[in-house]
Amino acid sequence: MAVYKIPNPEKRMLPRAHYWKAYINHRVLRRVIQIGVLAFIVFIAAQHVIVGEDGAAATASAEAFCPFGGLETLFKYISTDGSFVSHTHLSNLVLFAAVMAVAFFFRSAFCGWICPLGFIQDLFSNLGKVLQKRVPGVRRMFASLKQRGARLAVLDRYLRYLKYLVLVWAVGGSAYFGFMVFRDVDPWSALLSVAEFSFTPGVVVLLVTLVASFFIERPWCRYACPLGAVSGLVGKFSPTYLKRDADTCISCKLCTKACPMGLKVDTMNTIKSVDCVSCLECVSVCPREGALQVKFGVPFN
Amino acid sequence: MRIHPMIYGGLVVLVFFGIIFGFQAAGVWSVSGKNDATGKAIQPSANDVETIKGWMTLEQITSVYQVSLQDLLATFDLPADTAPDTAIKDLESDTFDTTLLKEWLTGGSETEVPIETPQPITIDSQVTVVPTEHTAPDRKVTGSTTFQNLIDWGLEKKVIEQILGAQMPDAATVVKDFATAQGLEFSIIKTRLQAEVDQ
Repeated sequence: MAVYKIPNPEKRMLPRAHYWKAYINHRVLRRVIQIGVLAFIVFIAAQHVIVGEDGAAATASAEAFCPFGGLETLFKYISTDGSFVSHTHLSNLVLFAAVMAVAFFFRSAFCGWICPLGFIQDLFSNLGKVLQKRVPGVRRMFASLKQRGARLAVLDRYLRYLKYLVLVWAVGGSAYFGFMVFRDVDPWSALLSVAEFSFTPGVVVLLVTLVASFFIERPWCRYACPLGAVSGLVGKFSPTYLKRDADTCISCKLCTKACPMGLKVDTMNTIKSVDCVSCLECVSVCPREGALQVKFGVPFN
Repeated sequence: MRIHPMIYGGLVVLVFFGIIFGFQAAGVWSVSGKNDATGKAIQPSANDVETIKGWMTLEQITSVYQVSLQDLLATFDLPADTAPDTAIKDLESDTFDTTLLKEWLTGGSETEVPIETPQPITIDSQVTVVPTEHTAPDRKVTGSTTFQNLIDWGLEKKVIEQILGAQMPDAATVVKDFATAQGLEFSIIKTRLQAEVDQ
């Protein structure tokens, strides 16, 4: 027999916002930031292809704005007194420092609020949801595939460690060989090179990631992103975290369903997982005021 | 302490872009290998061919490494009417790329224009090295440093041979010429010799 929890009458449901007020929330703010960053990267990539590198008005490559490039070149930069591995510049190091600072204060908020690759995966996931909702054939196909793939869900827990191996290989390989060993399989690098029609293994990884996004939210972030791995580890020292108030929570599981990283938010009291991208989707879908809150406190407490 | 999600998002953006703009304001920012942090154009170093990049022009290479454009074009079977301001990477083919150019400059450019051309000294049955007259900066191992310079700076023949992994040739031989002829990586030998000189 199902047991239903009686909500505390003193805690009220969140009031529903109307008209323009419905758009003043962190969900919209997050999307605006993500769109802005993606638009900037698209502009840089297009400018680099159109204007090129010749002449006085040399344009920057979009790769110059990749924070992970900063980590890949860090060893060479320190060990050789200021030189970089190919395709990286001072900007990569600065961006990496900025991502680490964000990770230290706000956990992996860079992944949830700024990273364009994360946003693109969100777009594909949302497109999949819309198609399932609107097209019955697609809905049936997704249901069938999910049913068949359900037994693979056990792998999820183990596959999440893959990103740490990718991190060690990418950073260690760059330090040892002196060039970016990860670049050829990097889906972000492949996406930036789309306009140059260069076919690399990264294109295959990108396509697999985008197709997988229809079935699993943020597959690259969950299983393979080395930047997310290092960001999550640094975030362990962060003073900010999510707190679930068990007294207020009605265990509706909307937060767990909304989590793009597949975390079981409804069973945790404090959400301090290294996989949390701090997108706050769980907070935005929570129907109870104060059930899920962003807190600032002592790390490891 | 509770943080409102909107303020949380605002702080994320503030910290992220604040750090970037802070570094930019401090001049610690460069998005191209063509310019350094101060915006000054980066040039190849005459002492180190590894500083050559694909975006560099033939003009930069010929002026820094003192080779003629005609020689360079002829060596790599490039069209004789190639403009000097053409980037290396724009001319890449099976017979020409940055690596091949570096190898040519390491092995060919200095030895082709010696001040005098004395008799070659035979080191072994396979390799011949042409001794050239050079003057090297004091106690700094460069492409023009001779073995005599190293001995004058206090290095023992035994130590030099240990670094080379071979018998030391005539003292008047240029280290770089010897290394190139033996198929050794001059930059590695240079670093090791410099470390011994500095001790």
